Amino acid sequence: MAGIWIVAETREQALELLGTGSLLAPDMGATLTAVVSKGSASPEECISRGADEVLMLAELAPGEPFGAHLPVIEKEARAASPDVILFSATARGKETAARLAARRGAGLCSACTAISFDKASNAVVMERIAYGGAATQKLASSARPVLITVPPRSFEPAGALDGRQGKTRELPAPPPSAVKIVERKPKEKVAKDITEARVIVCAGRGFDKKEDLALARQLADALGGELGATRPLTEEVHWLPEDLCIGLSGIQVKPELYVGLGVSGQVQHMTGVRGAKIVCAVNRDENAPIFALSDFGIVGNLYEVVPKIIEELKK
Amino acid sequence: MPTVVACFKWVVDEAYIRRSAGGALDFSSVDYKIGEYDRNAIEEAVRLRDAGGGGSVIGVTLGPPESAKGVKDALSRGMDQAIFISDASFKDLEPSQTAAILAEIIRARIPQFDLVTCGEGSSDLYAQQVGPRLAELLSIPCVCFVQKLALEGGKLRAERRVEDGVEVVEAPLPALVTVLPDINTPRIPGVKDTLMAGKKPATIVKREELSGSFEGSLKTAAMTASSMERTGEKLAADAAGIARFVDSLRKSGVIQ
Repeated sequence: MAGIWIVAETREQALELLGTGSLLAPDMGATLTAVVSKGSASPEECISRGADEVLMLAELAPGEPFGAHLPVIEKEARAASPDVILFSATARGKETAARLAARRGAGLCSACTAISFDKASNAVVMERIAYGGAATQKLASSARPVLITVPPRSFEPAGALDGRQGKTRELPAPPPSAVKIVERKPKEKVAKDITEARVIVCAGRGFDKKEDLALARQLADALGGELGATRPLTEEVHWLPEDLCIGLSGIQVKPELYVGLGVSGQVQHMTGVRGAKIVCAVNRDENAPIFALSDFGIVGNLYEVVPKIIEELKK
Repeated sequence: MPTVVACFKWVVDEAYIRRSAGGALDFSSVDYKIGEYDRNAIEEAVRLRDAGGGGSVIGVTLGPPESAKGVKDALSRGMDQAIFISDASFKDLEPSQTAAILAEIIRARIPQFDLVTCGEGSSDLYAQQVGPRLAELLSIPCVCFVQKLALEGGKLRAERRVEDGVEVVEAPLPALVTVLPDINTPRIPGVKDTLMAGKKPATIVKREELSGSFEGSLKTAAMTASSMERTGEKLAADAAGIARFVDSLRKSGVIQ
């Protein structure tokens, strides 16, 4: 019988990946196996949400990274030879999936955004974003296994069902990894989650200095929204926390309204706002790419324009 | 004195990709560039060499013959020499194929190295697979998404960024890292660098010199242009423009 595996580090990942796997399982006639870390979803919960089998990863010794599980997962995957193996496209998930794919000589669809099974060609069909968001790449695999990473919150989490049955097995502890964690620095300040914000005002490189972001905040307040940022602001000058970085390598947002202030409109960034209902912009460069990707925008100096917009909003 | 292998890719500059009427990708006016993240991989390799008081940086890339331009570009960024595996068929390769070719050439031509650096992903496909796959094929430890790196006493110490914070890790050398954009600021080559690049050794390896079959396992069924274009109405920064801007916001129903 065909098999679909999900490998999850957290409960949220487990539920989403079970939901993703269940999109394929009926068409493929496949069982679902959840390979999960201790402390993520419990075996009972995995089973109630669609898993037929749960493989519990052993607790890691202090200093062992998540990737240490790889030899154990590889051995199990070799024995059971699942058709599809799903991971979350997180830092640890992406690395572990790619390493497992190399060990198994398998294909891997990174950051998959749509998935289906084509019975006629016996192929798993997947979509992903390429060229910084300028293109959608459609991949098909009739080879097995095929590995897939899924960006968090791309698919619906699996719902709970009554009366499901499944088996649970504990996996052995992995051998020591060559890579050791010597220190963990948890995120100091977690910025507000803006993925569900209704209005986002996004600051770009058009701002001259950090203090000037107050202007973007004022507009966000006037619109009842949150502040977001482009990658240069979070990664180069570090004016805003990385959690606010919108784009292909940051978060994807789908607000009712997105306002880009001093945002040039590079495709990697704009890909993150393609789900927005209304996109508008203020930029002094009339040739900035953001105008073509906006519903409307003002060509002008944001330092002069934004206070006037705030004023107009008060009317 | 470390020997560092820096992997890079000569890619289409996505800013020039257009969408043709039928929704197909139009590459007719594209330019090419060294992948954005690969510039950080090259810079970090060069920085570690210089911090280590010598050693060398060997750039490795593969692609169709046109990618030779990228080899010269990469050499102008401070590396000592480059190996370019060139074949007309090396277009649109899957990450698994790229990693397999890189692994064979590194094994064959660079028997002793301390570190391999890769960008966190290529600028075109951004599958983020080649680094970790290559580490597995070379059977060396792998640390991805590194924002800070040092080599010391036969091991590396790296800060790796993960969703819940930063992991400071150590691994024995040789090892492979993939680097994040904020690990360094890549240099912008000057005229002198470009002139010097022409004098640095660049080895061209042909497909026939490799033994692997490099079969892919996924099939790209379609590559279509994303439609992100909107009406794009441009307003002036005068009173009328601002009034119309706010009016449009109100009419769209997104604000009260």
